[in-house]
Amino acid sequence: MKIAHLADLHLGFRQYHRQTPAGINQREADTALAFRQAVDGVLAARPDAVIVAGDLFHSVRPTNAAIVFAFQQFQRIRADLPDAPIVLIAGNHDTPRSTETGSILRLFDELGVDVATHEARRFSYPQLELSVLAVPHEALAQAERPVLRPDGSARYEVLVAHGEVDGVFPSDRSTVEYGGALVRADEFGPGEWSYVAFGHYHVQTELGPRAWYCGSLEYVSTNPWGELRDEAEKGVAGKSWLLVNLDTGIAEPRPIIPARRVLDLPRLDGSDMSAEELQAAISDRVAAVPGGIADQVVRLVVTGVPRHVGRQLDHAVLRGWKAEALHFQLDLRRPEPTRITGVGAPGRRQTLPDIVQDYLSRRQLPAGIDRAAFVNEGVELVASAERELAED
Amino acid sequence: MGVGAIVRVDAPGRVVFGVVMDAAAYDETRLYTAAVLRQDPEEPLQPVPLGEVRMATDDDVRMALRMDGYTGGNRGTGIPVGTYGSAGLAAPVYLDADFLLGPEAAHLNITGVSGLATKTSAVEFLLASIFQTFPAHKGSVAALCFNVKGPDLCFLDQPAELSTEDLASYARLGLSPTPFDNVRYYAPCKPDGVNLNTLRTHPDLAANTEPLTWGLREVLEYAEVVLNRDDLDAKADAFIDFLADRVVGRDFQAPELHPQEWRVLTFADLEAFFRAIFDSLENSNRGDIWRTHHIATIRKVRNRLGNITTRAKGLVTDDGASNDLPWGAFADRSVYVVDVASVDPLAQDLVFARVVSKLREHLERRDLGVDHVVVFVDELNKYAPADGPDTYVRKMLLDLSERGRYLGLVLFSAQQFRSQVLRRVVGNAGTTIYGRMDPDELATAGYATLSPATKIKLATLPKGELMVRHPHFTQPVFLRFPRPCVLSGREGVERFPPAPDLPFDEAVARQLRSMDPGIATDRVRAIVDGRREDDVRRALARTRQLRPDDVLAYFTAALGRRVEPELVTRRTGVIPLRGTADPYSS
Repeated sequence: MKIAHLADLHLGFRQYHRQTPAGINQREADTALAFRQAVDGVLAARPDAVIVAGDLFHSVRPTNAAIVFAFQQFQRIRADLPDAPIVLIAGNHDTPRSTETGSILRLFDELGVDVATHEARRFSYPQLELSVLAVPHEALAQAERPVLRPDGSARYEVLVAHGEVDGVFPSDRSTVEYGGALVRADEFGPGEWSYVAFGHYHVQTELGPRAWYCGSLEYVSTNPWGELRDEAEKGVAGKSWLLVNLDTGIAEPRPIIPARRVLDLPRLDGSDMSAEELQAAISDRVAAVPGGIADQVVRLVVTGVPRHVGRQLDHAVLRGWKAEALHFQLDLRRPEPTRITGVGAPGRRQTLPDIVQDYLSRRQLPAGIDRAAFVNEGVELVASAERELAED
Repeated sequence: MGVGAIVRVDAPGRVVFGVVMDAAAYDETRLYTAAVLRQDPEEPLQPVPLGEVRMATDDDVRMALRMDGYTGGNRGTGIPVGTYGSAGLAAPVYLDADFLLGPEAAHLNITGVSGLATKTSAVEFLLASIFQTFPAHKGSVAALCFNVKGPDLCFLDQPAELSTEDLASYARLGLSPTPFDNVRYYAPCKPDGVNLNTLRTHPDLAANTEPLTWGLREVLEYAEVVLNRDDLDAKADAFIDFLADRVVGRDFQAPELHPQEWRVLTFADLEAFFRAIFDSLENSNRGDIWRTHHIATIRKVRNRLGNITTRAKGLVTDDGASNDLPWGAFADRSVYVVDVASVDPLAQDLVFARVVSKLREHLERRDLGVDHVVVFVDELNKYAPADGPDTYVRKMLLDLSERGRYLGLVLFSAQQFRSQVLRRVVGNAGTTIYGRMDPDELATAGYATLSPATKIKLATLPKGELMVRHPHFTQPVFLRFPRPCVLSGREGVERFPPAPDLPFDEAVARQLRSMDPGIATDRVRAIVDGRREDDVRRALARTRQLRPDDVLAYFTAALGRRVEPELVTRRTGVIPLRGTADPYSS
């Protein structure tokens, strides 16, 4: 018994300004491409059931293109796998805030997709000895939640839900999608199900025995860099959906080949670099990207760059990179301000020349300036001013 | 005149107070031997002069027992303990709070044979006396009592009928004959998880009776308590420390396990974690060592920890839901009774150790809610015997008696045979009370300083009389105390017979009613019908923790809505959209 576990497709997701020749946002097209690729994989793997654990669309009112595309893809699955149940739940992105808005997901009911939009539903497929408890975001956001327990009615019992499992998300939460309902692990008892299919967190994560977040198929959050970092920390290589064997409990990632790479280049420390040196270092970093940055989503963080150095960079070159990449973000970060806080008893009070000397010895300087001479000149200037005042 | 009588000898320039310790008869002559209680003036110390001997008056008793030093005035620290009576006198006798509850000395120990209502009654009376007279400038005080047998301490909030004599005695001592105002009861559940394992289950008493349940975190903090058996070695200890420090309640990463990330919060999680270790070792053929721990050690620890949930079922929950004493929110003049009378000895050990350790931790941080806590433990012969294994509970009682007074943690303890209790535990008690004693016990070395007549008196003491040793009293003094104004265990059980064990749904309803008396059993029955007991217990625990305004609504929500199965027949799709190209095709 195999099931395909997909989640967080976010069809209709738009980011950056690049458009396809047909006038569609490029990232929206990328997201669709990833889903089409996943459906290709699902049809090839021929699972006994297909589960989509929420956030099919990026918004409650998706674009017409996204609706038509999703309909076509589900129609493909329905036609090729006529006996496989398809279970679809609403996530926080595709759940309207007021019920009278109605859910676009109900459209897919016409395709033979079993949809849970607001209330939890327990779908029973006796021919497969399979029972699926489908719990959409709205059901978990209510005060009276459904009981997230198997009912013992089938050989294979699967829970599909969309929400934030307590204690799983990274502590800095910069990559956490807002608005997910919090679920305690003891609420659903991971060990009691044949499989628990969760959606909401975009980084593929094992929650426990037979329980997974399968992750999104593309970088569809506002903080793709945080997603990359989480993936690196968890040892997850890119995006994939899961093909799960309910008999063995093994979940096999089926990778998605992305339309373009999302690259967070190794950070540069720009402290004490002149504009020319920094420009050269940035150019080296960009040039070192295998395959180049053309049509890729790229970020380079440079720390310790004073404002005047940033202004002196070659902006024509930077504009070239921005035109070449789908998105090129040069993130220049100012040096950390140095704060000196006095503690204990007051010491000797600094004179004006002391203060000037102290400041000049710390101030960022353009490259090529001899700091000692610079400081001496400043101090001498102050001293001469004081002498003139004394003479007056 | 008799043994125990306080007498006064007047001589020119000197008054001597004494207490009769022995007596002999020669035909019609009576010879009384008295021990000196106090001389006035005390310096220079001189032989007792020949003079007229008179029975002591109220003032004489006050002087003889040095109570003038700590009673009276604005900052008096006297705690009434009973009345001294002789020849129609009923002089109030006070203990010094500084020597009873610290910081000068502390702790109280009571010895006496069973069945004469001496030990428990004396503690109940003394606690009531402390609550009513403990001076405000000394801070706040609460009591925590372990009920270790029968219904002894189960009815502290229920008034008893007192005789005229007792009422007069209360009036003489300046005390109000009322039961304790603020008492909370905690008892582990029975193995079904909803019926309480206590004799205080009468529906009228449910309002202040709560379950005591702990999860994995609470138990593992004190794993050494339940695991200090002979077969546990340093290797097992090391593995338990590893679990407590690195695994339980933390994000634990183990690339070699499946799954790789663990967050163990409950015993069920811990069992899954152990299974993952065993699976990993079996599948990888990496030998018998996991992270320097041998598989046999891991299995041993797993068995011991797993055993806790079986033997202490009802106290320890698999799913981590806990209901604990109000740490940090103890209230002044409140009594907290932990009823462990009917639970497994292992669970008793765990309760003792954890509760006292938590008290100590909070008092050290000064965040318990009160400044002093009196801990009452009966049956020291069982929990701190002079011989026998050095259990964690015994070590804990010893630590409490040796260090507690600096923290405001005061041990009131009782036993039948003082000679068979760990000497350092009873030796640290600043105040000692003796009820009627067993002659065999009196024959032991610890009582050698008592005169034969005193021993005879101790062996024949009537109910309600006792002998007190206190740092201010240079000789033991015989006193009478009134009956405590609370129902005794036997009376309580007769007036409030324990409710029979209820079926699961009714027991749940009863617990909900303790939070909201208006909840009907039928409604609860309809709500829990067909639900898994684990789920119901979990919802009940959450309701108890939060104590919401609308108890039933919260409980229902916590229990969750049932999702009925929908039979799905084979679905047929629709034909593809005609004339519509893929909108995203390039």
